Amino acid sequence: MKIRALAWNTFASLVRNKLILLICAIFLCVILLMKSPLMAMRSTTASQAQTGTLVLGLVTAIMTMLTSFGSLLAAWSAADAVAGEIRSGTILAVMARPVRRWEFLLGKYLGVQMMMLIYVLAMFGMSYLLAWIGDTRIQTTPWVLIVYPMVRYAIYSALAILLVTVMHPVVAFVVVLLTSVAANMAGPGSHTFPEWLRKGLWAILPSTGLLSETNFLAITQATLKKVPWNDHLLILAYGLDYALVCFLLAVWSFRRRGLTRD
Amino acid sequence: MPAAIEFHDVTKVYQRAFSDDRIEALTGVSFEVAPGEVCGFLGPNGAGKTTSISILMGFLFPNSGTVRVLGAEPGDIAAKQQIGFLPENFAFYRYLTGPKLLQFHLALSGHKVPNPADLIARLMYQVKLYGYESLAISKYSRGMVQRLGIAQALLGDPQLLVLDEPTSGLDPAGRKEVLDLLVAMKQSGKTVLLCSHILPEVEQICDRVVILDRGKLVRAGRLDEMLETGGRVEIAVDTLSEETERVAVERGALIDRGTHGIRLFVDEARKRETIEFLWSQGCDVLRVNPVKGSLEEVFLNLVKNRGGAA
Repeated sequence: MKIRALAWNTFASLVRNKLILLICAIFLCVILLMKSPLMAMRSTTASQAQTGTLVLGLVTAIMTMLTSFGSLLAAWSAADAVAGEIRSGTILAVMARPVRRWEFLLGKYLGVQMMMLIYVLAMFGMSYLLAWIGDTRIQTTPWVLIVYPMVRYAIYSALAILLVTVMHPVVAFVVVLLTSVAANMAGPGSHTFPEWLRKGLWAILPSTGLLSETNFLAITQATLKKVPWNDHLLILAYGLDYALVCFLLAVWSFRRRGLTRD
Repeated sequence: MPAAIEFHDVTKVYQRAFSDDRIEALTGVSFEVAPGEVCGFLGPNGAGKTTSISILMGFLFPNSGTVRVLGAEPGDIAAKQQIGFLPENFAFYRYLTGPKLLQFHLALSGHKVPNPADLIARLMYQVKLYGYESLAISKYSRGMVQRLGIAQALLGDPQLLVLDEPTSGLDPAGRKEVLDLLVAMKQSGKTVLLCSHILPEVEQICDRVVILDRGKLVRAGRLDEMLETGGRVEIAVDTLSEETERVAVERGALIDRGTHGIRLFVDEARKRETIEFLWSQGCDVLRVNPVKGSLEEVFLNLVKNRGGAA
């Protein structure tokens, strides 16, 4: 009951957050502008195969942008959801109630996940819309396009909550951003870092490249049957485990944190 | 019966990470508030009142010393169920309405109420916010926000009320209503810790006073004992001739011909002798009262003696 109330309240606060709304609006404008080539393609006499390839490339590019933006949105929302309560002082009246600190954090975390679910569903709708405009079909299984990004956002928001318990939200956000970049650079086959460092980073940092649903978009002609369920489960379990560890560390770090603005 | 609030040798130091700067907000503070008492928590700005309240509520942790609230550690869930808290500058979710905020706090309180809407409507009525049920809190005036803060503190019929500047932002009528509410709380046996700069209000309703200055306890005790000024009485008379005044002054009386009429101040030991003398001179004695200082005088003396500013 308490956690549900906190989660709903967090969700309601986030969807009214002017900064988040502004950034989403700007991003939506960019996406809409990117649709123009698709609209143009409909009016040309390109062959079906050519159109399909172009549409797929464009859909993948837009989806990559959307998913990357979603990661940033998840990290910022989570950091701001906790830090904003402390900054505004609303946390005092909340924590004066019989609410445990982990319940507070969990409520905040779930509120962020609720918002990200809306975002993912919108992203899911957008990918099908883009394919429809391009007069082609996405042939992957829909659940992948919902579950994979949700797990990835769960990781980034948990990491942001962990960091914001010990640092300023902007710093926490930047650290999450750098972490995700470093994790991508440390993927298998990368030569950016010496091998020993790459392996270390690969093991420690959230390897969300595995959790990218664009992998499945890019291979739309292949079917999911080629990816065994075990692999899906293993990747998702890895992601959830990473998020859980980050969240538990956040709970541990938050248990003795001062809640006043000073 | 254990004390409702216990501070024992509490010290709190603020220190930034990677810095040698230290601010000792509290130094060895000890005091107790018994169940059913209304305790005024006083001190000039920066005295450590808000830090103490934050420790009491479990928002901050002391560097040393022990704190108990309703017999439990600060932050204890069972104890918090019995506490109503109004922070200084009550902050709120701007997009909510008053009833929605109370509903949110009711959900957090864990109290099972058969008809929450009725309870919330009653509280809105009690703090004179009825008629504003559909107005977003962002459109509330400062006084309305404060009233809503008081309403949320009263949710769940708490045994202990911790109120930080509850009358701040309220007009005189609003202040009186809050004071009446606190008197009603006191009569129903609730414990109240009242932090306020408005000393006449504190004097009006408090049983006990705790005064802090620059992080140290300056004085704690029962208010009536604190206001005793050492066995002097005030004798009010209708008239006082020059000759009678001269003799009274020779016998050690102080005379005041102010807005409160003619008053003589004498030692308790000379009360009877002075009254008989006044009667013999044809003066009518209107009243005889023990002299008490005001809380403001006591507070200013204590703080000034320590070189602080009120």
